[in-house]
Amino acid sequence: MMNFFYTYQSLFDHILVYALLAMSQYVVLRAGVFSLGTAGFAALGAYGCALLITKAGWPPFAAIVAGTVLGTVASALLAFPLSRLRGVFQAVATLALVQIVLSATQNWVSVTNGALGVNGIPKVAGTGVLLSVVVVVVLLLVAMGRYSVGRAMDVIREDETVAVSLGISVPYYHRIAFILSGLLAGLGGALQATSSYAITPGEFGFGMLVATLAMVVLGGRTSVWGALVGAAILTTLPELFRVFADYRNVVQGILLMLVIVYLPRGVADTVIAMLRDRRLRRRTVRLPADAVASGAASVGAAPVSSSIDAGVHA
Amino acid sequence: MTATLVLEEVARHFGGVPAVDKVSLQVPAGQITGLIGPNGAGKTTVVNLITGLLHLSSGKVLLDGRDVSREEAPDLARAGVARTFQNIRLVADASVLENVVAGFHRHEKAGLWANLLGLPSARAEARQMNERAMALLERFGMAALAEHRSGGLSYGHQRRIEMMRALATEPRLLLLDEPVAGMNDAEAESLAGIFRSVAASGVAVLLIEHNMRFVMSLCSQLYVLASGRLIAEGLPEAVGRDPKVVEAYLGA
Repeated sequence: MMNFFYTYQSLFDHILVYALLAMSQYVVLRAGVFSLGTAGFAALGAYGCALLITKAGWPPFAAIVAGTVLGTVASALLAFPLSRLRGVFQAVATLALVQIVLSATQNWVSVTNGALGVNGIPKVAGTGVLLSVVVVVVLLLVAMGRYSVGRAMDVIREDETVAVSLGISVPYYHRIAFILSGLLAGLGGALQATSSYAITPGEFGFGMLVATLAMVVLGGRTSVWGALVGAAILTTLPELFRVFADYRNVVQGILLMLVIVYLPRGVADTVIAMLRDRRLRRRTVRLPADAVASGAASVGAAPVSSSIDAGVHA
Repeated sequence: MTATLVLEEVARHFGGVPAVDKVSLQVPAGQITGLIGPNGAGKTTVVNLITGLLHLSSGKVLLDGRDVSREEAPDLARAGVARTFQNIRLVADASVLENVVAGFHRHEKAGLWANLLGLPSARAEARQMNERAMALLERFGMAALAEHRSGGLSYGHQRRIEMMRALATEPRLLLLDEPVAGMNDAEAESLAGIFRSVAASGVAVLLIEHNMRFVMSLCSQLYVLASGRLIAEGLPEAVGRDPKVVEAYLGA
């Protein structure tokens, strides 16, 4: 058992780092912000953290905090202009950010070592650290989703017109989501740097952008579990199909298409919805028939039983 | 005493096309005022102008005597303007209860951090909002469906969810955009009772409909819109006999 764990420990660490990045992507999508900035903020967090340790001699813990702060500040600065944009324009604006950060990491050689990346970063973020950080972040996001902020984000994602007619300020919640996303990406990047000895610009490119987006689409956009499931599946998959290493992207692409066609809400969201429906069906069966009927009797000739069935089977 | 909502010569043009042209009307508190007209008359445009989703080309909108012509939709909602949508707009994956609780947004006071971290103040508030939403569900006879996915319910139930969400905002002005479209008479009549009691509690209600019979039985004052212009106003019986109204409806 322990042998098995040690064999796959680095994979597990990788899943945990990507879980943070996927949650960064999840937060913006949940609020209806079409941001692709996660890879850019992760690069800022990773390079900030790695350079502070290797070049400025900062203690690793302080450098991780600084990397997180860097991601947060950058997203906070961008949040104000971005919350005036919508949809595909947000995507293009955040894509531009990723490009700018990436060119800096590749071409500002005197600071970033260019394509060689930063080496010799002490590995301070082991499995225990990563796991505790992920647990804390999940707990925070679950709390966020359950109360007013999460509800407002759901309404905005589903229908902005409804949101504004309920007095919900769309730019305000877009900014909150975007800043949280930058914070989580900065943290994820800093932990990636301090858990893998070295970072290169290539890790934060288009591949990461697509991976985090795919994780959330595959897992599900409305609950935080979607990001976790997506990160676990899409990080493990290439390892399972190692024999087909050349076709890794093809397998990933096919899987994504299958999920979009057959589980458009994502794996985790679909499972959650199924569990809820089953719970409701049990309860409806247990309720005496007249209790259900009297609930709707006062509204006249409403087709009570058929609509309840519709709710259960939908 | 002035009416809760006053429109003064409100107009809105799309390009050169006048969608709403110099419409003036009053919606007093405690009454149901009707706005009727054939399809494409500009009724929904009027609602969008009042709620701030569209901006006026000219004219004025007064809410409690205050000029709100230039205010944005969220500010108007917070000032007590609520509406339902002609085409149902719900968070389909959320439960009935969650959809109704969303209506309480403007009454939530717990701070951002309390909500982000799930502090006791946010929890207490969530519990209180759930209770208030359940009370609304009881009133609409939908308590048994509280935890069902709203997107899976029947049309009539979804309309009711929209109405509960609008009422949850505790509005001073309620705009109902074809609230009984597609309902049978019995269902419509049960909602009519609720509209009457909402109006009786002091809310100004503007009912947009093209079902003449339903409007006649509910409204104390009627406005008739055709091609963006008011063509008649007054007591329901008088308006119903007006030859211009008959012509607009029947094309006679």
